[in-house]
Amino acid sequence: MSKPDNVVIAKWLTLASLLLTCHQVNAQSDMEDLAMLYGDKSFISIATGSAQPIARAPSVATVVTSEDIAAIGANDLDEVLETVPGLHVSRSPIGYNPIYSIRGIATQFNPQVLMLINGIPITGAYVGNRSQIWAGMPVENIARIEVIRGPGSALYGADAFSGVINIITKTAGDVQGAQVGARVGSFNTRDGWMQYGNTVGDFKIAAYVRAGQTDGQKNTIDADAATLTGNPSYAPGTLYLGRDAIDGRFDISNEKWQLRAGYQRRYNAETGAGVASALDPVGTNFGERINADLTYTEQNLIPDLGVTAQISYLHLVEKSDLTLFPPGYTVTPPGITYPNGLIGNPYKWERHYRFNLSANYSGVDNHKLRFGAGTQTDDMYRIQDSNNFLTPPIVVDVTDTLPFMTPHNRRVSFAYAQDEWNFTQDWYLTAGIRQDRYSDFGQTTNPRIALVWDTAYNMTSKLLYGKAFRPPSFAELYNINNPVATGNQDLNPETNETVELAFDWQVKNGLHANLNLFRYHMKDILRFAPKAGTAALVAQNTGRQHGSGGEVELVWDASATLRLSGNYAYQRSIDEASNQDAGNAPSHQAYGRADWHFLQGWNLNTQFNYVAGRKREPGDLRPRIADYHTVDMTLRNGGHDSDLSYAFSVRNLFDADAREPSPAPGLIPDDLPLAPREWRVELNYKL
Amino acid sequence: MSGLIRFLEIGCRHVWAVLSARAQFSISKLVCAGCLALALALPAPTAWAGNDQIAVFYPDIGPPYRGIFEEMVKGVEDKLGRDIYSYPVRSTTDTDDLRNNLTSQHTGVIIALGRQGLKSANMVNGDIRLVVGGVMTVPDEDARKQPVISLTPDPELLFRHMKNLRPGTKRVFAVYNPAYNSWVMKLAGKAAKSLGLELVLLEAQDVRTAVQHYKKIFDEADSKRDTVWLPQDPTSVEESSVLPLILQKSWSKGVAVFSSNFNHVRRGVLFSLFPDNIGLGGSLAVLAQDILESKNKKVEGIYPLRDVVSVGNQRTAKHLGIDGGDFDMSVPQ
Repeated sequence: MSKPDNVVIAKWLTLASLLLTCHQVNAQSDMEDLAMLYGDKSFISIATGSAQPIARAPSVATVVTSEDIAAIGANDLDEVLETVPGLHVSRSPIGYNPIYSIRGIATQFNPQVLMLINGIPITGAYVGNRSQIWAGMPVENIARIEVIRGPGSALYGADAFSGVINIITKTAGDVQGAQVGARVGSFNTRDGWMQYGNTVGDFKIAAYVRAGQTDGQKNTIDADAATLTGNPSYAPGTLYLGRDAIDGRFDISNEKWQLRAGYQRRYNAETGAGVASALDPVGTNFGERINADLTYTEQNLIPDLGVTAQISYLHLVEKSDLTLFPPGYTVTPPGITYPNGLIGNPYKWERHYRFNLSANYSGVDNHKLRFGAGTQTDDMYRIQDSNNFLTPPIVVDVTDTLPFMTPHNRRVSFAYAQDEWNFTQDWYLTAGIRQDRYSDFGQTTNPRIALVWDTAYNMTSKLLYGKAFRPPSFAELYNINNPVATGNQDLNPETNETVELAFDWQVKNGLHANLNLFRYHMKDILRFAPKAGTAALVAQNTGRQHGSGGEVELVWDASATLRLSGNYAYQRSIDEASNQDAGNAPSHQAYGRADWHFLQGWNLNTQFNYVAGRKREPGDLRPRIADYHTVDMTLRNGGHDSDLSYAFSVRNLFDADAREPSPAPGLIPDDLPLAPREWRVELNYKL
Repeated sequence: MSGLIRFLEIGCRHVWAVLSARAQFSISKLVCAGCLALALALPAPTAWAGNDQIAVFYPDIGPPYRGIFEEMVKGVEDKLGRDIYSYPVRSTTDTDDLRNNLTSQHTGVIIALGRQGLKSANMVNGDIRLVVGGVMTVPDEDARKQPVISLTPDPELLFRHMKNLRPGTKRVFAVYNPAYNSWVMKLAGKAAKSLGLELVLLEAQDVRTAVQHYKKIFDEADSKRDTVWLPQDPTSVEESSVLPLILQKSWSKGVAVFSSNFNHVRRGVLFSLFPDNIGLGGSLAVLAQDILESKNKKVEGIYPLRDVVSVGNQRTAKHLGIDGGDFDMSVPQ
């Protein structure tokens, strides 16, 4: 961004803020009264009934609110998740897809983290993750994000392995009216959105629509997989992170019913550092996610019994048109050259249906019982594949001959039960168990136990044990015609057992501290590995990994206008086969944040993030990747009294050269650079 | 000759009729002009002109606080069974515009919500009656002129709820600063008497005295019979040092503490009473109707809040051995 433009923007903002300050004087006394009475704003949404119920489980959880998201100037989910203690967002070369590394558990496709939107999984069956064409998620419509670290399969089932991320979207009560917003920023990033929330008769309605585009950061990749194999390469060259996006959400509810629908479309999505770790300037991706759910809740079916019934539907489309290696690529042996490049165009369509019933019963003294059961169908119902692997330069439709997979589906049924027993004053024992039956690999049973002690009026202590599983994905089960990743139908799920000790301490008014310590043990880790009798790498349950660590968090209201918060996380994970560090995930991560309300309605936020101690994966002989730290600042005017609010942000203020590790053995030897210094301006107007 | 006289007689009568009509017209014109002059000189009495509409002023602030006032407006409309004119107001709102709108809508009463609502209503028209709600307190001279429903919960409801939670409760302690809310303490005295409770009021004009009182209370309290009430009072319930002391002693001695300030429930106090905004809107509507219907009746004074919802702290309730199911709402842990 050239200097004169920065100056112009700053001057305009100063003028606008001066004009708007005069509106704010009198209404602040009403707000002061209400703030004193109600305290935290989140209490208001609970009080006015517009908060959605949190699936409360005695566990170690972090909640990030929409106020936090606005204060830190985040424009994407990943920027918010990076602030969660023990969670680090790393990158895959494929479209820079996020890898949510929690407590040292991180793999390239990252299926070990379960992502939910309003409590409903958005897991795709192909690799068991959120999608291979992710291309970001906007945050304006998020009311809050709940992150549970540690295993959650006893309640959530599959993939709640290293953690669960639950994104709660805004309801009518969170929006209260109609707003439009727009944002521009570096890399030709532009977004526009509208939000609406209102009560019409007995119904509460909320809606959200957004369109965005970006050219993406243009960092240089010096060498890639094509370079290393002595093939023509676009490296040194830039990353390709452009994409267009459309998002929409709709939510209508009355006292007992709620209907929601969502749409996410990512198109012209570029390939990052390349799907095969070779730069691909022409590759393009299309991803679409459509979801709908209908929920019925009866709080008092009979006294002390509440029930919920829900059906949901998710439809995923992913289409990739890739030039995996540039023109002139030669495979030796057998000496085949691809004059147009190595081209592959995998397309897949999935649909997922879920039905579940849950009940909570509080009729037995000192017990809180929860039960649930349900079924789901994961159906990859259509595949289309074309490539020139065997027929260069001609691209041939291989859907019926040599596709990467044929259509498959699986059915799952599950049941769980949990009881929270207050067995003596201030002591609670929660025990839960869930069984999942998969039509393909069989069944898995996952328990958990939590002992919670209300230690003092301002302290709670917890001791937790849980077991979680990750089922084999369709790729691990059914991949065909792929010598580096061949499926195997004889697989077990991965398992993870964790023990945690947690303390929550309100030290004094305005100072809150948390300490969590954990140990975990992963078994039957699924990897594509050599297998006797075949030249291919075949999916097998071969790996074991254990680890331990801890997180400490502090929130301190240093004065009426200044809040300081931060966390530090430590983890150490060992891959048992090699007895070496499992690699990639940071050993140390520190995060600090200051929020300064220097004037009514204004907030200056500064964030500091430190990522350190990342060792290489076993077998990766490159030197250790450098530690990094970044600083971001956001100035926001909150628009409490006026209809217009705005924010100005700078991310990576000191232009640090921050990099995330590329996968072993280092086909992109210099790793994956993160964005340089970038700026953003955001405007919101209340209609 | 008699025919001519007859003709003249008829003619004269006719002429006289015409002449007198004109005269009457002129006289009535004079009378009308006079009336008009009088009418213009005197202000039109609004009651007589049929001003029977109710309007609401509320502060034009952003979410989430805005939703609180919007619920009060809904409560007014639900009670009256019809839509009413509601005006979000700021310090910069054009009062001439407001005044014109109110006049053309035949507004007889304004329900003023919040401090800004009251300020704007006072600026608009001294003749339209006011009903005030959604404020903590109003300066005394204003309180005498119009009815105010405060956001301070009625102590009678607090004491009654405490008795329901712990039926053995016999005594309520309260430390307060007489400079604030003495009107609430008078109500509290009456309430305690009607419920068969002993109310022990201790005055404290600074934090140190308040702390001494609380230490003594908790040292001597019997957890089965005694409870502590925290009024809306920044001296005696000072947030950073007094409240933690109260919470710690309440926990270790098992003595229940309830508060007029619902913010305290999150901190660990057992329960508070929370405005039922829709109900409050309805009560304000009833007051406004009273004013309209009984035009000369003096409806004034400051009333405590009776449209309430109970909010309790489940963690504290469990620790004290009280069934947490009796609260309308619970604070999450």
